[in-house]
Amino acid sequence: MMNLACIPNMVGAHLGGWRHPEAFENSVMNLQAFVEMVQIAERGTLDAVFLADGNGVRDMDRPALFAANFPSARPAMFEPTTLLSAVAMVTQRIGLVATATSTFDEPWMVARRFASMDHISGGRAGWNLVTASNADDALNFNHGEPVGREQRYARAQEFYEVVVKLWDSWAPDAFVQDKASGRYLDPTRVGPIDHQGEHFQVKGPLSLPPTPQGRPVVFMAGQSIPGMELAARYADAMFGAGSTKADCIAAYADIKGRMAKYGRTPDQMKILPGVSVYVGQTAEDAERLYETLQGLISPALGVHYLSKQVERDLEDLDLDGPLPADLASETVGGSSLRRYIIDMARRDNLTIRQTYERVLPAIGGPVFKGTASQVADEMEDWYTSKAADGFTIMAPIQPRGLRDFVDLVVPELRRRGLFRKAYETTTLRGHLGLAEPPSQWTQPAPAQRGAA
Amino acid sequence: MMNLLVSGGAIGGHLAGWRHPDSFSSTAMQLDCMVEIATLAEQGGLDAMFLADGNAVRQMDKPALFAANSPSDRPAVFEPVTLFAALSQHTRHLGFVATATTSYEEPFAIARKFASLDHLSGGRAAWNLVTTQYVEDSKNFGREQHFGREERYERARESLDVVRSLWDSWAADAFVQDKSTGQYLDPSRVRLTSHRGTHFAVKGPLNVGRSPQGQPVVFMAGQSEAGKELAAYGADALFGAASGKEEARREYADIKGRMAKYGRDPASLRILPGLAVYVGRTAAEADALFDELQALIPPALAVTYLSKIIGMDVTQAPLDGPLPTGSQGQALGGTAIGRSVLDMAAREGLTVRQSYERILPSMSGNMVKGTPSQVADELEDWYCSEACDGFVLSMPVEPRSLRDFVELIVPELRRRGVRPPSYQGRTLRENLGLTHPADPFSASLHVPAGKSA
Repeated sequence: MMNLACIPNMVGAHLGGWRHPEAFENSVMNLQAFVEMVQIAERGTLDAVFLADGNGVRDMDRPALFAANFPSARPAMFEPTTLLSAVAMVTQRIGLVATATSTFDEPWMVARRFASMDHISGGRAGWNLVTASNADDALNFNHGEPVGREQRYARAQEFYEVVVKLWDSWAPDAFVQDKASGRYLDPTRVGPIDHQGEHFQVKGPLSLPPTPQGRPVVFMAGQSIPGMELAARYADAMFGAGSTKADCIAAYADIKGRMAKYGRTPDQMKILPGVSVYVGQTAEDAERLYETLQGLISPALGVHYLSKQVERDLEDLDLDGPLPADLASETVGGSSLRRYIIDMARRDNLTIRQTYERVLPAIGGPVFKGTASQVADEMEDWYTSKAADGFTIMAPIQPRGLRDFVDLVVPELRRRGLFRKAYETTTLRGHLGLAEPPSQWTQPAPAQRGAA
Repeated sequence: MMNLLVSGGAIGGHLAGWRHPDSFSSTAMQLDCMVEIATLAEQGGLDAMFLADGNAVRQMDKPALFAANSPSDRPAVFEPVTLFAALSQHTRHLGFVATATTSYEEPFAIARKFASLDHLSGGRAAWNLVTTQYVEDSKNFGREQHFGREERYERARESLDVVRSLWDSWAADAFVQDKSTGQYLDPSRVRLTSHRGTHFAVKGPLNVGRSPQGQPVVFMAGQSEAGKELAAYGADALFGAASGKEEARREYADIKGRMAKYGRDPASLRILPGLAVYVGRTAAEADALFDELQALIPPALAVTYLSKIIGMDVTQAPLDGPLPTGSQGQALGGTAIGRSVLDMAAREGLTVRQSYERILPSMSGNMVKGTPSQVADELEDWYCSEACDGFVLSMPVEPRSLRDFVELIVPELRRRGVRPPSYQGRTLRENLGLTHPADPFSASLHVPAGKSA
């Protein structure tokens, strides 16, 4: 079975998405609109909603782009764990994945928020571990300058290890709550973690017992080498692995191939590339939707957007000429999206206009466009070709895009036996087909901490 | 109007509360219990629910006390802001006061989560600013030693300024979302915080739109000199620790008297002492509840608990001898609650046993016991004597005590006209009798960064 998550971005995944007549009228701090999307996703028995996030307002130095609000700018967002805790109250089964950064947060705080969310949601919480690729976020956290990639990933690895130890602080049966004897808890069923590392010193234990799914599911998204290594070592699921089917097949094999050296089997991690879906009752409908959205972006805005993604001012260049020849795809600290765009433009000999027109519909990711059957064909092809274990669906317009996916594509996937007809488990870990993680308390460990 | 908040988690405010037959049978990570408490509080028209918090599991070196789970230990609790986000979906009027520490959290993260909660709840969020008094919390954040008091309060003030400035990042009308022109937001209606201070450097703006209350309400609880000064400077509400009406009157005058030098109106700070309530339909019923709970605490446990509260080991002292007062230095370095217990014991010549019998029912705070009319008399008396603007109520046994309060005392207070018949405001600020801070972008006003209007 395929796994499907979706990104409930209220402005849609296309830069022109929020302007479409069928888009939400108000997508700023609108809980009701957000709930509507998650309930649509739950109706489609999707595994999870996945909330990308950052900790800074981006592109204030590019007023035209800033004013247009491109989909990953996120100038006004709920804090994700509070949002999804609220949403847990109006949903029953769907997984809830929130982003938190290991670069500017503390392991104790992250362990606590996500464990709390897992208890609140009855085992549906996921943590998308990011190191924060938007350099300027650092300026909101006492750093004078961006934090380098190597430093971010070294910290991320230790951060993850501390969080997992904290999640395993208590035995599941520690809280006996025996009114007769007055023993609320068993002091032998908990211990400090006493972590003394290079980046963190954390005593523990966490002030929360193990969570309904053992511990929250951990997502990652990194496509750099250190990012892939970290995912191969620790991630339960991964967002994105490439932008074309060939890329994804290569990345899938690459990342899963790295798992063995960490003692893991390939099925212990699900790879769910992000795809933008433009679906219609007919192929013409899908095409029309696509064209309408492309038409909502002026060339000036398209160039601004591309300038931002490739980190070079392209505004004075010929729209129908190529990207500057000296634009190197590999730069220190550059994003994988940047690399992808530059390589694609060069490979396919694209003009500036053609480049932004390719990038806009899916923020650089793959686009599946057509009838439900055509979209399902592509999904099935990728899935059976080991390009993906499933997908993270990005809808160009919300809530229409997500509704169309659930109403048109999901039934087709179900008919083909590729996707569940109803939820079969109650936890996100269960939906993803992942096993309960090991615990020092339920499995005999050589050195059981704190149980002396 | 008198403000009323309910504090505490599902285990109740008395050390033996969770053992009482009328308490919840299971409370560890039981969301249903918290939903029931919030729902009851809202039925009673209470202004808000208040949750103390910390960032460590306490008393692991005292296994007997640890196993008994005293009300301030919190070994298994929800992270407060996520919990309140969830509870906000089960309620419509009740405010939510969540604790976050300026010692170990970043101003950006604090500003963001409380602004988010304010949006999710439609204007019912409050931040209880603490500097963290339990020193061991530091060990979960890479510090062998907690910050010293002076540094903690300096950080707190700077953090508060930054958080408020971040909350003022966006004009309420910044997000025009004009589909026809493609203008989603107005870049001239947002501002940077650009803070470079001693403890924090934060550029801003916040990535959350202006919240329904303009700014979430800011609570504090400090009773030290530095704490009082910070409250006078920047709190919207204060969880008071004064013990007894006379002390409460002095503190009330003292703290409100400090506000003028910060250009603040005394009415813009609500002072709300903690109060444990033991109510019964008859005085005998209230006494019975009280005695049942006291009887559930063995002396050994009680003495350990007392030792913890006063920050001094008195487990070896004779139960019926005087409470050792320790050195002056020790008392000065302890918590406000610890000092008030030592003062009380010295003043009244209490034994060890008498001391713990006094503090157990109310966690060393104030206590009232009796019929609905007797309890209402006491509340009204404090309120009308300028000892407080209301109370943060501690409920010995949950959910029984809160239910009793709502069914027995709330109607009495309403009859007397000190509580409104129903919620009067749309937001927590309004229900607390506070104004909404002005939008700094509104043309006619100039609000300096970091100050509430």
